[in-house]
Amino acid sequence: MNPTVAAASVLAAALAVGLGAIGPGIGQGNAAGSAVEGIARQPEAEGKIRGTLLLSLAFMEALTIYGLVVSLVLLFANPFA
Amino acid sequence: MNSSSPELPIETSATSAEAQPEQAASVSTTALPAEPNASMQEYYQLQQDLLKVTLVLTGIIFISVWIFYSLNIALNYLLGACTGVVYLRMLARNVAQLGRSQSKVSSSRLALIAGVIIVASRLDQLMIMPIFLGFMTYKAAVIFYMLQTSIMPSSD
Repeated sequence: MNPTVAAASVLAAALAVGLGAIGPGIGQGNAAGSAVEGIARQPEAEGKIRGTLLLSLAFMEALTIYGLVVSLVLLFANPFA
Repeated sequence: MNSSSPELPIETSATSAEAQPEQAASVSTTALPAEPNASMQEYYQLQQDLLKVTLVLTGIIFISVWIFYSLNIALNYLLGACTGVVYLRMLARNVAQLGRSQSKVSSSRLALIAGVIIVASRLDQLMIMPIFLGFMTYKAAVIFYMLQTSIMPSSD
């Protein structure tokens, strides 16, 4: 593999995971904190709150997975090699 | 609204928290009860519904890919879909444990898809794209479930 391409790929993989995890990480933290706070306020709505949290986290974590897959492809199956 | 009104519960609790910070800290770190209450049945029902929708979608797409592409690609898709089901179960268990135990919200489930993608990139028999799209079947199931409950809210 060309050293320039290898270096750029490693850098891009690091940026894809690192930057791609910032937003979902903040969002998941906010969502989980708000959900626990809501459960503490209304324990009778625990099932509904946890269900909504599950659906929200399923959507949010997909954004992290996109960056993870892109970085893994760049590292292990680089199309530019 | 008068912010200095004494009957506001938020202001009252804030004042008491300032007066007794150690007591407020102990209240804020109290864990939720370990035993799930009756409303958790709704959550378990949601888990079962999501699992059913995911499995149905997986079966339909697996047969379609088998017909229109090949058995090898369909099996790759099936591997990704199974990974997605396991991931969804791990996420659901993590959400169910949130606030009950001292364990943190772990991201070990991300290692699942990372491991599968790495294995797929190393082996010639496996392909990354069908596995990744198969993994994303759980998301299609979530979208389908949300659309279903939005259009027909009384059906569940």
